[in-house]
Amino acid sequence: MPHCLARLPLAAAILAGTSAFALAQDRVVNVYNWSDYIEESVLAEFTAETGIRVVYDVYDNNEIVETKLLAGGSGYDLAVPSDANVMRLIQAGALQPLDKSLIPNLANMWPAITDRLAAYDPGNEYAVNYMWGTTGIGYNVAMVAERLGDAPEDSWALVLDPAIASKFADCGIQVLDQPDEMIHAALAYLGIDPGSTDPDDIRRAGDAWKAVRPYIQKFHSSEYINALANGDICLAVGFSGDILQARDRAAEAGAGVEVAYAIPQEGAQMWFDSFVIPRDAPHVAEAHAFIDFMMRPEVAAANSNYVYYANGNLASQSLLNDDVISDTAIYPDLATVERLFTALPYDPRTQRVVTGVWTEVKSGG
Amino acid sequence: MTAATATARTRPMGKSIGPVRRSFAPWLDPDAKPLVEFRGIVKRFGETVAVDHLDLGIYEREFFALLGPSGCGKTTLLRMLAGFENPDEGTVSIDGKSLAGVPPYRRPVNTVFQSYALFPHMTVEANIAFGLKQDRLPKDEIDRRVEEALTLVKLTGMGKRKPDQLSGGQRQRVALARSLAKHPKVLLLDEPLAALDKKLREETQFELADLQQRLGLTFVIVTHDQEEAMTLADRIAVMSKGRIVQVASPAEIYEQPNSRYVADFVGDINILECGLAGRNEGLTRLECPGAGAVILLSQEIAADPGTKVFFAVRPEKMQISLAGPAEPGVNSLYGEVWDIGYLGDVSVYHVRLADGQTVKATVANRTRLVERPITWEDKVWLSWSPDAGIVLTK
Amino acid sequence: MSVVAANPPAPAARSARPGGWGRRLVIAIPYLWLLLLFLAPFLIVLKLSFSTAAIAIPPYTPVFDLGAGWDAFLAKIQEFTTENYAWLAQNSLYWRSYLSSLQIALISTVLTLLIGYPMAYGMARAPAGWRPILVMMVILPFWTSFLIRVYAWIGILRREGLLNQFLLWLGWIDAPLAIQNTNTAVYIGIVYSYLPFMVLPLYAALERMDKTLLEAAADLGSTPLKAFWRITFPLSIPGVVAGCMLVFIPVVGEFVIPDLLGGSETLMIGKTLWSEFFTNRDWPLASAVAILLLLILVVPIVLFQNQQRKAEEAGR
Repeated sequence: MPHCLARLPLAAAILAGTSAFALAQDRVVNVYNWSDYIEESVLAEFTAETGIRVVYDVYDNNEIVETKLLAGGSGYDLAVPSDANVMRLIQAGALQPLDKSLIPNLANMWPAITDRLAAYDPGNEYAVNYMWGTTGIGYNVAMVAERLGDAPEDSWALVLDPAIASKFADCGIQVLDQPDEMIHAALAYLGIDPGSTDPDDIRRAGDAWKAVRPYIQKFHSSEYINALANGDICLAVGFSGDILQARDRAAEAGAGVEVAYAIPQEGAQMWFDSFVIPRDAPHVAEAHAFIDFMMRPEVAAANSNYVYYANGNLASQSLLNDDVISDTAIYPDLATVERLFTALPYDPRTQRVVTGVWTEVKSGG
Repeated sequence: MTAATATARTRPMGKSIGPVRRSFAPWLDPDAKPLVEFRGIVKRFGETVAVDHLDLGIYEREFFALLGPSGCGKTTLLRMLAGFENPDEGTVSIDGKSLAGVPPYRRPVNTVFQSYALFPHMTVEANIAFGLKQDRLPKDEIDRRVEEALTLVKLTGMGKRKPDQLSGGQRQRVALARSLAKHPKVLLLDEPLAALDKKLREETQFELADLQQRLGLTFVIVTHDQEEAMTLADRIAVMSKGRIVQVASPAEIYEQPNSRYVADFVGDINILECGLAGRNEGLTRLECPGAGAVILLSQEIAADPGTKVFFAVRPEKMQISLAGPAEPGVNSLYGEVWDIGYLGDVSVYHVRLADGQTVKATVANRTRLVERPITWEDKVWLSWSPDAGIVLTK
Repeated sequence: MSVVAANPPAPAARSARPGGWGRRLVIAIPYLWLLLLFLAPFLIVLKLSFSTAAIAIPPYTPVFDLGAGWDAFLAKIQEFTTENYAWLAQNSLYWRSYLSSLQIALISTVLTLLIGYPMAYGMARAPAGWRPILVMMVILPFWTSFLIRVYAWIGILRREGLLNQFLLWLGWIDAPLAIQNTNTAVYIGIVYSYLPFMVLPLYAALERMDKTLLEAAADLGSTPLKAFWRITFPLSIPGVVAGCMLVFIPVVGEFVIPDLLGGSETLMIGKTLWSEFFTNRDWPLASAVAILLLLILVVPIVLFQNQQRKAEEAGR
């Protein structure tokens, strides 16, 4: 498992701190990535080829990485935050623009993804997409079939229509504790522009969630992975990659739990995890070298083949395993891609409305 | 080593033999039934036998002392009476009724603990009232008895204090009052005065004896202090290794110990190893070659001549002089003054005999120190009257 | 007669002069410790609570620049705002979070006491040779990560977990019980995790108690049950108070257990604080929540201790 290399942030911090005293040829790059998000052998290859040692540290939520980078002095050279976090980090001045001349492999990027990412990072100056996915519905195939009959699974109605959601109250629904994404999802369900910043729209989205609140077991951003895999819950609103991970774990366990992922037809939000370099990164050149290496088609393909996420590297697609490239849960078909949307982070005033509405939803107030 | 430390525990006993209240001797009355009775008691703790087939009767209104060194089983015996321990064999009974299976809180006895065991979170009054409340007495009766108990132990006005605001002696009195307020059939006292300093201990001893007399209660006291047992008790049971060696009045224990163990434990005594030589003209003759003496005394010994016996004589019954007695070597010993312990009221002479053993003699200091005629390294004679000593066969 | 060697007189004391710097240092160290590790962080959080959230590094204003001089400092002071506290007061979520946290902490403390007391009592009355082993067993769980232990409870309490499987196997239930992600699971997790903090002070108080007091109580006619209520329990109250404080105070701010075991019904200030800080990136508001939590906890404790001291003085 990749995150075993440097589980402790402290270890990374110490190594980062001492690197200044190391020999000149001892080059280091301090990478801060999501846990379980890389093909391990890639790191060894990078070191073998460039002589740059990788100090690899992991996190499991965006809030941690954003908080660390906002606090400054994290010692990391590279991090992989998600779209809205990237945008806020840019606004806060926490990132440095990339020197694209050092990353020739940017030529391999997939414009479809790069263009959408540009909504958060105008001109693609700060971020290079690593992986991307959607926010949709993960479900336990047998439990849902038993309660739903032949109604379609690929609809937000599964969780947002009280009449349907109530059927799943006994087996458990979990929902991401992500105010922005969940408001966007409810707006899509209601047929309103998911990017709307109208407080009334946001309140309507909140009301939709409140209506199904009694049937929701928990609002949490990671627990649903295990819960779905173990067959403890029947529905989860979550990130595609996490749900696919739950699907694979369930299959490996062989306990008869079958998990599937659906992208709701009303539209689903795309997310992008992208490489960024903190403003105060100690090893800027090494960070660029690392990004460039990761953008090699064969490296990008190896990573996607390992983690089962779609990447933003068009050149890698011919090298992907068949079970990755032809899985519509990973690489949705074109018609589905049409329905995917992106939404910018809210301005501070709207953000307070969203936060307030969401805490009301969660606390049943 | 100084003389003072060597003789510190050899204060004369003669003046403190029990309270004088004679004609009270129910144990001599064949018809009298003991109030407390131990029969065939055995108590083991693991491999150790704490009490070994013990029989004992204690009579109503008696002040009874269990005396012995630590670990002799005296406290275990008391705890079996209180109900904190159960005998492995035998029965304990009060008033003829067996206490087997009766928990401590239903026994008509109360205990004054060595540590006093006062409840630290309660006032003196509450401590005393605690036992009375368990009996569900009416409140004014409780108040009356608390006041009565406080008066009894001379602590009137101290009722509102907490135990940690009292002196050691006062705490001891509260413990006593707490037990007495219950009007027990038998009051058990487990080394009750051990924590007090000497002067306070002596005062309290007399108060305790007085209290027992006035209330007419039965007291059983456990102590390792022979002086305390002598001062307080009507009878003393001297214990050793879970058995009773001798039960008798203090005077008897002192004057007629039945064994070297008792003689040695109670008071100070000189013991000479002798051979029984026979009996002549109403006198028993002992020959003590080690000490270089012949002893004549009237006590009859039922043993064959030649049997090894022990002659025991208390230091205060010895006379010491520079001049020889009328019949040197008969009821007398010759030696050299080795050490003198000056204790103020008396002096103890340690005299070394020819064979190296040391014999003690106590002399009352009737005259002033400067005029003492006998001093270190003087050759002296120690002598005693024919009935001053006793022959012990075990 | 032994010869006592004549010792040379001890040299005059050089350092033990009362009020010497050595003694002052010894007194100063704990204060320095408090200053560095409690007061300084507290002041930083207090300052943050009067700041305003911003998209910047760090994500709030004003930020003091020590080199900017006195006037700049005064200018920055003007930027302080009480808006965060006003927001807390207006928004019922926070008050409900506080109240719900206090309620959960109170119930957990009572449950922990009810379970911990008999345990501590049993330990204190166990043979002396066993006691260190029993204390060790109480401490043993600390050798495993707290997080892992709470995770283990998910495995036990979840729908298809060990507990449900066991109960189904026994035939006591027909369908799995929903325990995981409810307040019940939170109580189980809290009681399990905080039990040692209750047991150890209780054990210390009970073990220290003079056992002859109970013999005395029995001797005076008190049944074991009455003796417990009139002697053992009153004397163990310092342990009860210490244990309850050690459980109640951290549980009010507990985050991990409600996060992992609780469900959508579980409302605790620790979670609210976390989401203000991380999800909403509103450091100033999160700081205000923390300051208020501190006041809610510290003020009653200080009042309680004051009152205890007065009661004690009155008792003298």
